[in-house]
This record gives sequence, C-alpha cells and structure tokens, in this order.
Amino acid sequence: MEVLRLQNLQKSFGSVRALKSASFTLNEGEVVALLGDNGAGKSTLIKAISGVFPVDRGDIYVRGQKVSIRSTRDAMDLGIETIHQDTSLAPDLSIARNLFLGREPVNLKWLGVFAPLDLARLRDAASALLKRVGISKKLDADALVSTLSGGERQSIAISRAMQFAAKVIILDEPTNNLGVEETHGVLRFVKEVRDAGHSVLLITHNIHHVFQVADRIIVMRRGEIVAEQTVAGTDLLTVESIITGADMSALLKETRAK
Amino acid sequence: MRSPQFSSLVILIVLLAVFAIADANFLSPLNISNMMAFLPELGIIALGMTLLLTAGEFDLSVGAVFGLAPVVVMLLVQNGGFDIGVALLAGLLLCIAIGAINGLIVTKIGISSFLVTLSMLLVVRGAALYITQGFPLKSWNQPGFFVTLLAGSFNIGTFRFYTSLWWFIGLSLLAIYVLHYAKLGNWISAIGSNRNAAVARGVPADAVKIWLFILTSVLAGLAGMISAFRISAASPVAGTGYELEVIAMVVVGGTALTGGRGTILGTIVGALMLRSIRNGIVLIGVPGLAYNIFVGVIILAMLILHALLQKNAARS
Ligand SMILES: Nc1ncnc2c1ncn2[C@@H]1O[C@H](COP(=O)(O)OP(=O)(O)OP(=O)(O)O)[C@@H](O)[C@H]1O
Ligand SMILES: [Mg+2]
Repeated sequence: MEVLRLQNLQKSFGSVRALKSASFTLNEGEVVALLGDNGAGKSTLIKAISGVFPVDRGDIYVRGQKVSIRSTRDAMDLGIETIHQDTSLAPDLSIARNLFLGREPVNLKWLGVFAPLDLARLRDAASALLKRVGISKKLDADALVSTLSGGERQSIAISRAMQFAAKVIILDEPTNNLGVEETHGVLRFVKEVRDAGHSVLLITHNIHHVFQVADRIIVMRRGEIVAEQTVAGTDLLTVESIITGADMSALLKETRAK
Repeated sequence: MRSPQFSSLVILIVLLAVFAIADANFLSPLNISNMMAFLPELGIIALGMTLLLTAGEFDLSVGAVFGLAPVVVMLLVQNGGFDIGVALLAGLLLCIAIGAINGLIVTKIGISSFLVTLSMLLVVRGAALYITQGFPLKSWNQPGFFVTLLAGSFNIGTFRFYTSLWWFIGLSLLAIYVLHYAKLGNWISAIGSNRNAAVARGVPADAVKIWLFILTSVLAGLAGMISAFRISAASPVAGTGYELEVIAMVVVGGTALTGGRGTILGTIVGALMLRSIRNGIVLIGVPGLAYNIFVGVIILAMLILHALLQKNAARS
C-alpha cells in the first residue's frame, strides 16, 4: 500500500534549481534508497518532505490524501520522522531531553510552554527506550549529548524516530562517520523498522549498504530523478554508472576488450 | 562539583572574605544595604540576558532602553500631563516594540544580534538624548503607588532594603523555573545549542527568540524605572555601558556566550560578584580611575577559569 507519494516537487535557492522535478512513491514496509552524487538534491528533497522549508511547486500525498507540510511539526504529526545529515541533536542537552525535544512530557498541560517538565517520566521513558535500542549498558539518560561519540549520537537520533512510531522514517546518510559495528547497528535497525511495517527512505553514498537493506533504488542527478529500479533487478555496476552519469559498464567492457 | 556556577560561587565567597578582611566597613549594614540597592537594577536585566544568551543571541541595547524608558514615562507625566499609570503603560509598550524590532530583524532578516542591537543602542540612546535635549529631567518627587511598588524601601533592623530586591528575587525564581524546569527552558537551551535540530523537532525557534528579545527589553525598562524612582530623577544618559556590565555578569556566572548552556544561579552569583567588586575595590582604596582595570582583570580570570574547567570536564 502506498504511504507517501510525491508529485513534481520543485525547489530553487535563488538561481540554484536544487530540485527540478521529483516524483516517486514509497510503499508500506519498504526500504527505498535515495542515491546521487554530492549536490544532486537528495537532502533538499527530504527537507521538503520533512517540512524544513516549503516547496516552490508540487504535491505531497500521505496515504492517498493530499497534505500540505508547512513546518517540521506538520511532518511529525503526519508520521514522518527525519534524521538529518547535519546532526539532529542539541549537544548541550541531556540524552533524555533530546529524545523528547519538541514533545516533552509535562504536568499541568494548560500552562502551555510554561508547563513544568515531568522529569521522572522523561528519564524513565528515555531509559526504557535506550534499553530497547540495545545501547543501555553504558549510556545514562542524564548524560549530555556532547559527551557521546558520533555513533552513539546517531543511535540516539534513530531511537527517537522509532519511539514515535512514525509511518515514514527518513535517514540522511545515517552511517556517515560511523565505525564498522555502529554501521551494522544502523543497518540492522533499518531492517527491523521495515519488518515492523514502517517505510524507510535511506540516503547514502555507500552502494554496498543499499544492496544489503534496500528493496528499491532511486537515483537523483542535478535535481532530477533519473532512475528507479528494484534491487533485485539491477546490480552494483549499473547503479554506479547511473549515479555518475558515465556508462561504467560500457567502459569496463571496452577496457576488457583491450 | 565542577559546574561553572559552583566555581563562581567559591570565588565570590573568597572575594567577599578578602574585602571583609581588608576593610571592616565592607560588611557594615550601611554598605550591605547599599550593595543590595544597586544589585537588582543590573541583576534584573541580567536575568533576561541569560535566557537570551542561552538561546544564542544577545542584546546590546539594554543600557539605552534602561535610559529611555524612564525618560519617556516622566516626560509624559511632567510635560504631557498624563497619569503615571498611563505613562508606565506607554513605557512598557515602547520596550515591547524595541524588543520586537530587535527580534524580528535578527530572526526574519537574519542579521546577527550584535549588529542589530548595536544599531538599536544608537537609535534608542539618541532618542533619549534628543527628546530631552540632553538634559536630565526635573527631579521627581511624588511618592505614590508605583513608586512604592518599584522602589519603596523598608528597614529590617539596621539594614535598609528596597522593594526592588523582592522584584529581583521573584524574577530570579521565575527565571530558574522557566530555564531549568519548564518546557520552554528545554526549547531555549536546544535553540542555542543547535538551532536546526530544535527546528527539526518542531520547536518554534524564531518565535521563542523574538519573545526573549521582548522580555529582555521589558526587563531593561523595568530596571530603568526602578533606578529612576529610587533616585527620583531620569537622565538620558542613565545606563550607559550597562550592556557590557550585564553581559559580564552573565558569562562570569558560567553561561556560554555561544548559547546552549545557561545558568540563572550563576548569573545571580555573577551579579553579586561584579556588584561587590565595584563596591569593595573602592572601599579598600583602589583609586577610582584605576578600578576598571581590576574589574576587567577579575572578569578575565573568571572566564579563563571557566574555560579550563570546561576543558577538564571534556577530557574526563
Ligand atoms: N539552503 C540552501 N541555499 C542555497 N543553496 C542550497 C541550499 N541547500 C542546498 N543548496 C544547493 O542545492 C543543491 C542540492 O543540495 P543538496 O544538499 O540537496 O545535495 P545532496 O544531494 O544532499 O548532496 P550531498 O550528498 O553532498 O549531501 C546544491 O547545489 C546545494 O549547493
Ligand atoms: Mg545531503
């Protein structure tokens, strides 16, 4: 079943046409890898979906309903959780406070933004969550995020997306700067999330990862979607050549012939 | 106990002890009363500045607003014949407008708060000088409800206290609650720590910042009124240089100039520290013209200490 559909999304920054026209569909329980060279427009596309900025033109449908996503809050309320490339956490806040940032458990709700945080619930929920993601052994919910490693931070951001049981989880280069073990952790998480029925949009430069976890591949080049293929129906070399725009397999045949 | 506000507190106690030993008058009721009279005026502004700095912005126009607000209020009463309550309301609206303009330009146009509020300092100070033609206003000698409310005084034994101290204490408690225990405080710290992360979680960063600019401006105006009522006069140059003194109080207390880490308790300690330094070095006989040297050196020493503690904490 279709969860998210984009139609002709367009976005320019001044004269830079970061997104010329993007359309694709994301289905339930599916992992789609979004590939493309630096500056292809991947982050711009997912920022538009997650409400970081409005698109210039184009429509977004969630479960067949046309929606307007004007803020990050709108996207979150529609069940779209995003883990951005440029770190999603506030380093000076504790893990617990980061996990619930923007959705803090409070007492006396009628006080609005002045409502007191329910610190006990905040801490308990955070600990429970850390345990579920399997990183409870060393991490204290009260520790500041600035004291964590890159991989630990990534795990925190991912567990936050999980906790709100989002329909769609978007990961922008989640394995950047991660060690081998942490990378496997992230990939394992992607599979788990899919098995739980969520849809994942995964942006990465590592094609090997794509072939490990993705069901489908979408390739962008200069603001446009230039290819869409199932993982089963393609291979590494083909995908690589589509990304760079050079026909690598042809090149390879040529050199072999010599 | 490596927290910045704790180390500031230790140093405050050491300073107080040094001054007390050097001059017996330092802890006399009269001198303590004096310090407590001045403390709230800068301290109240420092509370707003702490929240603003924690959100990653700062405001250089507070000293000028401190001067302009009472000048406008008193002109309305003395020359305009308005009721004091109406005049105070007008002063409040003026402060709100100044803060809102600062906040809107910083967040919506994206100019750094240093430049925006520096320009605002000139505009506001210039306005105060222009509307008074540079002269202090006639002295103000009508005790009344608002004067008592803001600058009344009372004696406890041989100590003389102003109601402004209660304002400072009350506002401090509110600020502690908001920054450390309320949802809003979580947002303020997150915005200063990593604005994009906060926005990505649906935190209305621009609105929060605009309100903090307004709050800081209003507190600066309030402090200006308290001061003007206390000395029964309003001068267009009142509050000159206060912006830097207030920022010094805040950072000496351990709040990061770069945002994300703020402490109200630290700011209270910082305000007490700068106040007692200014008072103490006069008492122990440092020549008046030399005392900014001392103040500067002590501030620098405090900041170096914070930086070293920070490094140590990061290493361990
Ligand atoms: N806020 C912005 N203002 C101006 N130009 C921008 C902005 N964000 C992105 N761009 C431009 O839009 C284009 C697409 O950028 P985008 O970040 O979407 O690329 P990307 O595919 O995510 O690349 P990478 O793999 O390096 O992350 C680039 O040319 C970039 O310079
Ligand atoms: Mg990107």
